[in-house]
Amino acid sequence: MATFVSPPTAPAAAAAASDSAAEPPKVDYLDLPCPIPYEEIHREALMSLKPELFEGLRFDFTKGLNQKFSLSHSVMMGPTEVPAQSSETIKIPTAHYEFGANFIDPKLMLFGRVLTDGRLNARLKCDLTDNLTMKGNAQLTNEPHMSHGMFNFDYKGSDYRTQFQLGNGALFGASYIQSVTPNLSLGGEVFWAGQHRKSGIGYATRYNTDKMVATGQVASTGMVALSYVQKVSDKVSLASDFMYNYMSRDVTASVGYDYILRQCRLRGKIDSNGVVSAFLEERLNMGLNFILSAEIDHRKKDYKFGFGLTVGE
Amino acid sequence: MASKRVSLSRSRSSSSDDGILSRISDNTVVRKGKSAACDAVYVAKRLLRSTGKAAWIAATTFIVLGIPLIIEMDREAQFTEAELQQASLLGGAAPAQPK
Repeated sequence: MATFVSPPTAPAAAAAASDSAAEPPKVDYLDLPCPIPYEEIHREALMSLKPELFEGLRFDFTKGLNQKFSLSHSVMMGPTEVPAQSSETIKIPTAHYEFGANFIDPKLMLFGRVLTDGRLNARLKCDLTDNLTMKGNAQLTNEPHMSHGMFNFDYKGSDYRTQFQLGNGALFGASYIQSVTPNLSLGGEVFWAGQHRKSGIGYATRYNTDKMVATGQVASTGMVALSYVQKVSDKVSLASDFMYNYMSRDVTASVGYDYILRQCRLRGKIDSNGVVSAFLEERLNMGLNFILSAEIDHRKKDYKFGFGLTVGE
Repeated sequence: MASKRVSLSRSRSSSSDDGILSRISDNTVVRKGKSAACDAVYVAKRLLRSTGKAAWIAATTFIVLGIPLIIEMDREAQFTEAELQQASLLGGAAPAQPK
């Protein structure tokens, strides 16, 4: 799969390089901008198309104790889906309280979250030097074999970025992304999961101008992801994405809009599975946000509506 | 063998003995018309149901995707209008001073 897919990227890169070389303004290829990290390659499309949809009630409260330290409390209430064999989704009502502590410093960031059901999530981001960053992520649960830990080391070069990943269960990963022209960047990744005896390789390409972003990614797991974001104006952007899984033959395409207005942010999406969703964040006052979330699955007749309040920050 | 013959003769006699109404209803033209009417009703029902379903989907989709957008755009327009008015009140005086 990987060898089959890699040829199109190379001619595309060559074509793009020759195109930009033919352009009148000479491009200094030794002074290219730094690309976006490999795992954030679909950032704009994800921001517009994948808001945090929820069902039920949410209440988030963040209180800063001083410049660097803040505490957060959140309450979530509502039905949660339980995985079941039948095609019908079963929902049981649940309620959670989450307590969090954040420490934010330019050089060091620490986040901790504890849920009432015993889940603990810790994140760490630390700048070791100007170019080298270490990120850690750990998730502890009371269920066996569901706890995860992961360390990332990111190195940021002048026109490239590279990342090395270490996780529990003998998970190793590495990725590299390089700017080829001022607009185009190409990257690749390899990973090896020792516990599941799986390995894979992936390629990604991203073309961005200040009006649009187009990305493409393939991996040997059979995943093909394409996305396109068009910024219509500084307030409005339109996004579309396409996902194809070669192994499970799943195809999904979605189109969405993202409006960032003065008092609110509104994101709407419709996808090829018949799911319509919208997410509205309305700023009522300084530090007081009202959230409305709606998701309608016409095919499964599954309707999710949620509302929430965010206080602080 | 005998019973079969008896049943046959009985059925024949019953058809010949029927009244005028049943003879009309047995007529091929009437029968065809009936089946056509039935088909038409069936198709109309299906069509109505599917259009109803499509209308329902379109309406709910519009409620989720369209209405918040319209309301927010309207609010934004009102904001800019108010701001413009304020700017013209404040800014209108400012350019007047240099003159």
